Amino acid sequence: MSAKTPMLRTLLLGATIIAGTAGSVALAQVPPADQPPGNGNATVSPGTPTPPTDAFSAPSPNAPQSPGVNAANIPDGPPAEPSEATPMVDQVTANPAHDDWPGYGRDDKATRFSPLDQITPSNIGHLKRAFIYHTGSKPGPGQTNKWAAETTPIKVGDGLYMCSALNDMMRIDPATGKEVWHFHANEKYESIPYTAACKAVVYYTSSTVPEGEHCHHRILEATLDERLIEVDSEDGKVCEGFGWHGMVNLMKGMGESVPGFVAETAPPPIVNGAIITNQEILDGQRRWAPSGVIRGYDAETGRFLWAWDVNRPHEHGEPKEGEHYSRGTPNSWAAMIGDNALGLVYVPTGNSAADYYSAMRSPEENKVSSAVVAIDVKTGEPRWVFQTVHKDVWDYDIGSQPTLMDFTKPDGSTVPALIMPTKRGQTFVLDRRTGDPVLPVEERPAPSPGMVPGDTRSPTQPWSVGMPRLGFAPLKEADMWGMSPIDQLYCRLKYRRAHYVGEFTPPSIDKPWLEYPGYNGGSDWGSVAYDEKTGILIANWNNTPMYDQLVSRKKADKLGLMPVDDPNYKPGGGGAEGAGAMAETPYGIVVSPFWDEYTGMMCNRPPYGMITAIDMHTQKVLWQHPLGSARANGPFGLPTHLPLTIGTPNNGGPVITAGGLIFVAATTDNMIHAFDIHTGKEVWNDVLPGGGQATPMTYEYKGKQYVAIMAGGHHFMMTPVTDDLVVYALDNVN
Amino acid sequence: MSAFVKPQTPAAWAILGLAVVIVLLGLPLAYMGAELVFLGGSWYYVIIGIAVTAAGVLMAMGRAMGAILYLAAVGVTWLWAFWEVGFDGWGLLPRVFGPTILAIAVLLCLPALRRMENAHSTSVREVA
Repeated sequence: MSAKTPMLRTLLLGATIIAGTAGSVALAQVPPADQPPGNGNATVSPGTPTPPTDAFSAPSPNAPQSPGVNAANIPDGPPAEPSEATPMVDQVTANPAHDDWPGYGRDDKATRFSPLDQITPSNIGHLKRAFIYHTGSKPGPGQTNKWAAETTPIKVGDGLYMCSALNDMMRIDPATGKEVWHFHANEKYESIPYTAACKAVVYYTSSTVPEGEHCHHRILEATLDERLIEVDSEDGKVCEGFGWHGMVNLMKGMGESVPGFVAETAPPPIVNGAIITNQEILDGQRRWAPSGVIRGYDAETGRFLWAWDVNRPHEHGEPKEGEHYSRGTPNSWAAMIGDNALGLVYVPTGNSAADYYSAMRSPEENKVSSAVVAIDVKTGEPRWVFQTVHKDVWDYDIGSQPTLMDFTKPDGSTVPALIMPTKRGQTFVLDRRTGDPVLPVEERPAPSPGMVPGDTRSPTQPWSVGMPRLGFAPLKEADMWGMSPIDQLYCRLKYRRAHYVGEFTPPSIDKPWLEYPGYNGGSDWGSVAYDEKTGILIANWNNTPMYDQLVSRKKADKLGLMPVDDPNYKPGGGGAEGAGAMAETPYGIVVSPFWDEYTGMMCNRPPYGMITAIDMHTQKVLWQHPLGSARANGPFGLPTHLPLTIGTPNNGGPVITAGGLIFVAATTDNMIHAFDIHTGKEVWNDVLPGGGQATPMTYEYKGKQYVAIMAGGHHFMMTPVTDDLVVYALDNVN
Repeated sequence: MSAFVKPQTPAAWAILGLAVVIVLLGLPLAYMGAELVFLGGSWYYVIIGIAVTAAGVLMAMGRAMGAILYLAAVGVTWLWAFWEVGFDGWGLLPRVFGPTILAIAVLLCLPALRRMENAHSTSVREVA
């Protein structure tokens, strides 16, 4: 293959330029990645996987944490026993003020619905930039771009509060964008995991500090370097009564780690006084990566409350001296959501460490991976589990925050329900009390037993047949695309060279396999928006297959794949979403977009991103169309400047307003879009200074409605990175 | 190599250039198309690749038949594209856009090719 590659490249270049010049609108904002090695990779006979070599052996889980892991040098007390939280007063998200957007998903149900109606489809032509605020966080000289702020500000009363990509917190004047205070988290570049992101801060009203005193109203965040930090909402100074000078070290009890291995990017929910934390563990590193443990901390004091540790199911306290939380367990990195009435937190989980090889997972892990787990916030005991993928080896970890709703059954009774979008594009609707499906879920046959010796696939997988699927039919050869017949043919060859039997095609070693839907969704972390009054649900989603291959340990070593905590690890030598060592398993993994690596265009035909409106009363699609234009994308990474709606990959959620509008950015055309919710027609858009890979929000202040979007860009989506929060308002309202 | 005519006029040079481009497009279609058939995929590419390569070679030899063959191949391509993706614009784009642009160029060359062919055959007859 290598000898003929240059010739092929020349031919493809020549051919695509000649044959595709004027009309070539296409895109693939997907990153460069190592290509799967292809045939002949199976250097070991089935059944005798090579044992891990000594060359790249990772440190023992009991080894001390590297310097910088406990970034603020917070002293760890003795291991704590389980306890209960200080009782909580009602929080602003329980019943948000009309003008406010007090939480990441606006309210306790994460509806992303605002009652504001000043901006409507008829006056939106007057929507103009009011101000731009700069967070101050972007890549410095010589730093690899790992930025994607993904931030949604929150607005409570007179303050707009947000965090920067590196976890500084600030309060901004909602009318002018002037900074009121700025808390410096002093986070180091080394602490950035896969992505420097901070989705939102949390507003908390204390039950023990009286009104008018410092830290009655607090701003809470969880950081990339694994700290909980609480500051006062008025002056931005730390709350001394919380943890160690306002901070809690979440690396306590985690065992061996290095900076950047474990991180928090989502806002931790506070449920009945308990802050619930989850954490992102860098994917693809090694089987015995740090734990995916879910923990509770007291919102008043930062005191440890309980842990839910999958492989220590009956121990809810902190690990004893010399012990650590169970390693390699499914990690959860999505925004969770709480339920004060039922005393539960709903945890969208991911996979056990080493995403693409499941033979070394415990039965306990297999029960709770890629699932929704409802945990009792008093005890840390799981109440119910609903699994969205059995024995996931496709990185179908759940990225979305669940949205809560009251579901009216045909008999008129109401069920407290939870909507769980997934990367598979299957949207599950569950009873929050029991985890039972409210809309029918079928276990359908899936390809089994698979291609990897000793690692059998589940014979069935769950399908949410009662909800419209956010996805398309399985790929056919005729779905391959390109600019010209030649690059289309190249993609047809790639398709035929791969192993593919539809969704849940099992991983293979001898040749690449096609993963479709890909790991960017369906629905990723953007989540959905829901209007309770009309019953309309809005979801934007992706259509981006992946081309993956397991590689023998020998091959993985040759490719230089090694885990992040290996002494020989070089930054860029394997990341969360690209090739990974999966050390301590027999295989490494090579992951790439299913694309033409010469033109940088996806191999499947457009659209690559969609937006869908679903009537939750009837579960029917009201409208659905491609989302995002070709203006900033094109072959060889060149922008086409064409205003054609092709449908681009998108990351970031939608917002619904009572004015009958949907605001969504997310797309790789670097635009923010507004749609008429009833027709789906795009009624407004604006080009952002950077990629809009974040969920917008809207608020009213002194009689004027504003729309804010973090145009922080996204390194993986290859959109321009900025530190700009762009805020819009009508120019004909004073 | 007597079959290849040394271009005498700008039109003849343009035709030769176009013919070379068509051959360069036809060869990878034929080569990769053969692999696709081997892997159980569509037969379209190998057949059209051979036809297009032949068309380019014939055009380089100054034969109007080459242009006719290329135009026929593009005609077949349109029919095949409709059969495979219907009237879907994004689907039709890679299949017919580039080949049709080239077909227009070939069509424009056809009168000149005919003239060259007539002149050539006349001169051959006179010599004989």
